[in-house]
Amino acid sequence: MITYLDSLFKGGNFLINIEQVNFSYQGEETHGSLNQINIHIKNGECILLCGKSGCGKTTITKLINGLIPHFNQGQLTGKTVVDGMIVADTPMYQLSEKVGSVFQNPKSQFFNIDSDSELAFGLENNGIAPDIIRQQVNKTVHDLHIENLLHRDIFTMSGGEKQTLAFASVYAMNPEIYVLDEPSANLDRASTLTLGKQLKHIKSQGKSIIVAEHRLYYLTDIIDRAIFIVDGKIIKEYSREEFLKLTDEERHQMGLRTIYQKNPPYTIKSDIDGELQVKNLSVKDKQHIIFDNVNFSVSSGEILGILGSNGTGKTTLMRCLAGLLKEHSGEVLHHGKKLSLKERNAICYMIMQDVNHQLFGESVWSECELSRDEKITDTEIENSLTFFDLLDFKDKHPMALSGGQKQRLAIVTGIVAGKKILIFDEPTSGLDYDHMCIVSQTLKDLAKQGHIILVVTHDMEFLEMTCNQVVQIGGNYF
Amino acid sequence: MNETNSKGIRLDPRTELLLLIIANVVAFTYSAQWIEFAVIGILALLLICCGCIKSALKWIVFFICLVGIQYYVIPILPKILVIMFSVLTVYIRKLFPCLMIGALILKTTPVRFLIISLRKWHIPQKMIIPLSITLRYFPAIKEEQRHIRDAMKLRKIRGFSRKLECMVVPMLMSATGTADELSAAAITRGIENPIEKTCIVDLRFHIQDYICLIVGCIFIIAANITY
Amino acid sequence: MNQKSNKLQVKDLVTIGIFSAIYFVINLVVMISGGITPLLWIFMPPILSLVCGVIYMLLVAKVQKTGAVLIMGLITGIIYVATGQFTLVLLVTFGLACIVAEIIRKITGYNNFKGNLLGYAFFSLGMVGSPLPIWLFRDSFSQQMVTQGMPADYVATMNAATPVRVLVVMVVATFLLAFVGGLIGKALLKKHFEKAGMV
Repeated sequence: MITYLDSLFKGGNFLINIEQVNFSYQGEETHGSLNQINIHIKNGECILLCGKSGCGKTTITKLINGLIPHFNQGQLTGKTVVDGMIVADTPMYQLSEKVGSVFQNPKSQFFNIDSDSELAFGLENNGIAPDIIRQQVNKTVHDLHIENLLHRDIFTMSGGEKQTLAFASVYAMNPEIYVLDEPSANLDRASTLTLGKQLKHIKSQGKSIIVAEHRLYYLTDIIDRAIFIVDGKIIKEYSREEFLKLTDEERHQMGLRTIYQKNPPYTIKSDIDGELQVKNLSVKDKQHIIFDNVNFSVSSGEILGILGSNGTGKTTLMRCLAGLLKEHSGEVLHHGKKLSLKERNAICYMIMQDVNHQLFGESVWSECELSRDEKITDTEIENSLTFFDLLDFKDKHPMALSGGQKQRLAIVTGIVAGKKILIFDEPTSGLDYDHMCIVSQTLKDLAKQGHIILVVTHDMEFLEMTCNQVVQIGGNYF
Repeated sequence: MNETNSKGIRLDPRTELLLLIIANVVAFTYSAQWIEFAVIGILALLLICCGCIKSALKWIVFFICLVGIQYYVIPILPKILVIMFSVLTVYIRKLFPCLMIGALILKTTPVRFLIISLRKWHIPQKMIIPLSITLRYFPAIKEEQRHIRDAMKLRKIRGFSRKLECMVVPMLMSATGTADELSAAAITRGIENPIEKTCIVDLRFHIQDYICLIVGCIFIIAANITY
Repeated sequence: MNQKSNKLQVKDLVTIGIFSAIYFVINLVVMISGGITPLLWIFMPPILSLVCGVIYMLLVAKVQKTGAVLIMGLITGIIYVATGQFTLVLLVTFGLACIVAEIIRKITGYNNFKGNLLGYAFFSLGMVGSPLPIWLFRDSFSQQMVTQGMPADYVATMNAATPVRVLVVMVVATFLLAFVGGLIGKALLKKHFEKAGMV
């Protein structure tokens, strides 16, 4: 109540006023809904919205950029005013000149195939004169140092480059307010730090920033305040100093990820007599070597973390191990016996970053049936499903499950196919602390059951918690 | 796709689209044989001028083979095979100019230029937005299919219809999510602004465009008066 | 912005664009895998109408508004024509077929399965424009072949290979198989998309 009265008196000083807002999505009871939200943001401030998945932080970003109520349908009461405009009564294109938005998924926020068009896209939409657009684009390229992204096919870019381009195309429109919704969810460490630098840059220009995030370490010198949200309610507002003083224990209780950047543990085990041995493995495509001389060994019950910057061929390595791609030289041995492509395919399984690509069935049960080995009995499938808390959903369609459930279902399909080696690709991207702990525990359980686990990840907090040993490919990660 | 390192002259995409229409008209006008050869020759020349030398040679060789088959191979084939192949060869030969201009467009014209051309012709936004999305989505489908194929190989999915289902269904599933995210991104960047859109690419007709169109018109006339 | 209005919103346009891309790719895949056999090529429209039902059915379920089908048909036509793979005839047939489909959708109220099935049958006829020139320009074809110095009995054989009744069979097959394709599409819709709560 006090903050509300406060805003009535000082309303004019605030750039963004969210007053008494309640919202729930159409067809959703609780997920992402908001309850009596009041937020007041001054010009030039940087606000962090934090909390567990589904707490409503993304919903708040949508109040500001206008996607609520203009794009997402639902029950809305209360009022949001941005730079003097009542959001609900202002058309989206008018808001878009003041509020720039960067979203979570780098793959689905560009509209063109080439980067040059993408940079000009927003300005062209708003009918800006071509000369001014060119100036703006040049300024953007210069300010953000993205010369390397010009004249490129966006589909050849890495996720980090795509996200940088998305940020740059918003920057070119020169908005007063930047709204970012988990912008680092799909980024590796280097790209996340680049994003941090860019945010610092716009802050120094006096722009206001609202960012909803799980990953916090790259934001520590940028934020002015942090707003902690639980189940759609603002629980507490922290100043930057208070927020940075949170102990690990408090943070874990709040379900937040690490605030400080962690370095990878240097426990690179050099034994060569593990159950699975990879020796001098290299893969080439037509023109060049993708990776060269990769060596490691790992036994059942162990979890091996695989590190490497973007473009060092981690994906290629996984595909090669899983028998989807032929090696150029080197070998993969299991119990000392060299594995052919087909044999690797028979004992390895991949859990992809986007598990939607690997679920095909019409129900959880049929999904398991689809990949079961002849030797696996119905009871064994049931046991696996029970172990991963999926048995209750056995008649549900896989696509109706939550992200975590889908991931676990993908694991079950690997287990019932009798696969010994499980390879995970970025299993924790975009997860909050609690969900990350669940994934970590799952991997440990699988290792205990005698599987060999390989994990490609950028997530140091997860790596530290989960892996017994780490290999780096493509030189030093840091 | 690559705009910076194109060799040779460059045509306005509108010219290319107009040439395509001209080629269609000429193809279905009953005309003398030399006109057909002249059209193919001139189009090959155009491809060479636009820097697609390899492609021009490929089309010429292909055309010669086709004519060769038609005159020398088909007459000595048994009747059944004649029925099978003659339709195809005759039809492809008719379509040849269109295919060559199509190749020129694919090789030299970035997608954005085509979209800009359509915008200059005042095609409504309701057509232009979906069309640009379609063209943008092709590479995304390719990426996605790679993942799906990998996943199918890891799970030993068998049977043709099952495989087809596994390829199509996840693609349609993710299409829904992508449509949501893409449109949210687009409207926060002002796509709904009713103002006339501007464009940093300056498309205009040059001398080579006029020459091409005039030559095209000559062929229409020639095709209609000769037989 | 009232999304319940019958006007196409950005999201609808994007959805149509994406579905058109998928439709086109499947088209192309079927075309390439069947294109080696010339006779199959003439019968491409019926094969496609059998396979592509699910895409159409999902599109009309997602975008229950005027214009969705017309735009998808025109996009397909434009891309085929602009890449020189087919003639302008295709664009005309797609335009006509889709207008009929739109009228049927309008009359039956967009959310009517029978209406959508019939609409799909007409939509499928759009592809008939790909081999249609064989019959449309038949006389000019054969005349020309004679002037090109082809033996007369050869030209006769060629004409005999493609009598008008083949055209009729092809059109009727396209139309009828579209019903089968539409039913398969509906079944897949039920099996996956409705169950997953996505329609």
